[in-house]
Amino acid sequence: MQDAALARAIAGSPDAIDAGAEAEFCRRFAPRVRLYGLRHLRDRHAAADLVQQVLMMALERLRAGKLRDPERLASFVLGMCRMVVVDLRRGTARRNGLLEEWLIPEEAVEDSEPRVFERDRLAACLEALSERERSIVIASFFEENENQKAEPGLSAGNVRVIRHRALGKLRACMEAA
Amino acid sequence: MSAEFATLVDYWFGDLAREEEAAFEEHLFGCDECTTKLAELVALGGAVRAAWREGAVRAVISRALLDAMKGEGLRLREYAMTPGGSVDCTIAATDDFVVSRLSAPLANVRRVDLVTDAGRFEDVPFDAAAGEVLMCPAPAALKRKGRFTLRVQLLAVDDAGERELGKYTFEHSPS
Repeated sequence: MQDAALARAIAGSPDAIDAGAEAEFCRRFAPRVRLYGLRHLRDRHAAADLVQQVLMMALERLRAGKLRDPERLASFVLGMCRMVVVDLRRGTARRNGLLEEWLIPEEAVEDSEPRVFERDRLAACLEALSERERSIVIASFFEENENQKAEPGLSAGNVRVIRHRALGKLRACMEAA
Repeated sequence: MSAEFATLVDYWFGDLAREEEAAFEEHLFGCDECTTKLAELVALGGAVRAAWREGAVRAVISRALLDAMKGEGLRLREYAMTPGGSVDCTIAATDDFVVSRLSAPLANVRRVDLVTDAGRFEDVPFDAAAGEVLMCPAPAALKRKGRFTLRVQLLAVDDAGERELGKYTFEHSPS
């Protein structure tokens, strides 16, 4: 079902909740909202809070027919993410009882099963990187914030180029396994 | 159309300009394939972080990473070494990492190679201003080792050739 049809299905049943459409909405958008939350909040629990908040608010407005252009469903959800992230940073977002109140499937809020990487293979692929590549990859993911821009002797641009190259190699190495 | 891997990487690490980031997020929210690729990058990052924290990987690290590790409460055993120095060293079961701080005259050095009995590691990260190289062996493997001696040599490399910056000897005993 396309986004617009999904939005219309949720809005088109004011007296009876279209559980199938709402479940599909959660399945489709929860991973996107979670990634947005991880990217901007850098915290798994805060990202889960964001998923709850956004799905709840979006469903509330969709049911009420407040999305004027159903073709813009993705932008509508993104706009809510941006708004709720501001609230979460201020600590003013609602937190409790949302799952029960809105019948949002719990699995939509929790992390989906992460891809498992074989540890020895990953260690071997990291070892195959150059010294600088390994150092930058580890530092990038360990710190995982926007401060890891430069290393001694390297500009931010150099770090970015090395990171691209290193992650490309690492991904190829893991996929070759 | 799916985004390039480089764009996903730049997005994740905050390297896109504000307008580019906003445009990419508009795209991401409508793209299943990009969502999947970004989720895989995030999962790979989680696995790298876990492998590092669990001591499966060695690296020559930056001061910033060392500080971040301390900030996360990891238990670090540090050995500060000067050229020509030797140290009796170990790693305890309760240590998360051992970090050897190799001081050397690094001003105006362009490239440093680190040579050990195990091989030559080219172009390692170094902090010229601080005058040190931070060597971090894989703790998991180190904890399994018996007594051994490790000799380390730092070399400055440039167009004119190479010159020794320092030699360091580690006399390791199990804890």
